[in-house]
Amino acid sequence: MLTENVVRPAPGRSAFLRPRILRRPARLRRAGTVGLVLYALVLGAGLGLASANWATRGRYPFGGVALNAWTAWPRIGSREADPYVRAIHARTGEIPLALGEGLLLTALTDDAGHRLDPSCRYRIAGATPPARAWTLTVERRGQAKALPQAGTAAPPPRTGFTSTEVLRDRDGRFAVALSPTVQPGNWLPMPEGEGSIRLVLRLYDTPVAASTGVLEREGVPSITREDCP
Amino acid sequence: MTPLGRFILATLCGLVLAGLVHVAVVLAIPFLADGDAMTRSRATLANDTSVLVHAVATGGPPEPPQDKTAPAQAPEDWLPPQDPAVALGVCAYDLDDGPVRITAETGPLIETIALHGRNGAYYAITDQAAVRGTVELVIMTRRQFDEALATADEDERNRDVRIVAPSREGFVTVRVLAALPSQQAQANQAARSVSCTIDGPDE
Repeated sequence: MLTENVVRPAPGRSAFLRPRILRRPARLRRAGTVGLVLYALVLGAGLGLASANWATRGRYPFGGVALNAWTAWPRIGSREADPYVRAIHARTGEIPLALGEGLLLTALTDDAGHRLDPSCRYRIAGATPPARAWTLTVERRGQAKALPQAGTAAPPPRTGFTSTEVLRDRDGRFAVALSPTVQPGNWLPMPEGEGSIRLVLRLYDTPVAASTGVLEREGVPSITREDCP
Repeated sequence: MTPLGRFILATLCGLVLAGLVHVAVVLAIPFLADGDAMTRSRATLANDTSVLVHAVATGGPPEPPQDKTAPAQAPEDWLPPQDPAVALGVCAYDLDDGPVRITAETGPLIETIALHGRNGAYYAITDQAAVRGTVELVIMTRRQFDEALATADEDERNRDVRIVAPSREGFVTVRVLAALPSQQAQANQAARSVSCTIDGPDE
């Protein structure tokens, strides 16, 4: 067949080859279309699953009210919670503070906008938020839960302060020192382990839950970086 | 169409598909998850009192068991990091068996009670609403509420706080704040002592 092609005269050869040239791209095109459809499916499934997993890992992607370094989450414990919040709660088993119970505020950065650094010393100070009680807690992502060890005498390190036990100055203001080394006054030890630091302020039985405008007026505690090694 | 154009078209289709998959997965997670608080609290359905799911870590030696008849009172450990100063008790309910009565004896500690349904919390009350040291709630469906209204004795004043639940199933949470370390044991005790019983027809 091939030799025949070679010996054929020029016009006949071109007439024979034209369909072959046309047929090959058609087959390629079909294979290419299947490949592209597969590529689109894999891309869609992969990106969709990965982004859904990323968005529901454990920290709320949006819906917060920013107040300086703090972010208040007034809607996570209500029926108006967005689907991401519901998915996060379903995955983690979290039981959120309900709207009438209290309000959750979290901070990942200091007032200057830098991420909280585990090796630095921070001062968390300010007025008492309008609430019957509040607790200030420091959490570390991926931190192993402290197991109660029977033999050791040392109690587990402090992870938070309540509004009752925090030491205050004459005006009723407080200052908490978050530091890896021992500090005078209200020392909150920096938790050990890996992962980012998060400060959590929970207001219990507070009028703030209805509108965060009260917090904007009264102010939230400031987070200032004192020094870093 | 050029091969590049076809590739770009496929990529765009993939991105649109990714968006659809993302939305579908996020919406489906609450129905598929088996580790959510609702599913976990089902185990407490048969209990008459709330079960402690997050205990305040007492600094001293582990507290002695309050009574020998309840060996399953050890706090379960499925919650993400919680407030270390707050004891949290849960109690699941199913309104198919009748209205559920929640009775909490409040003490000196700050105590909040919240009702959660499938779509999140729908009601919350604090110990400031207690009447003579007791918070009493009755959770009912709309139908049970209408029945209770229809059969109510007009001369008798009913002091119950009646709440219509949005769904049949749900759970009650009790949070007790131990403001001082000396109150930790008391907070744990308070969080596990809330009674949630099915309201009998004799009421």
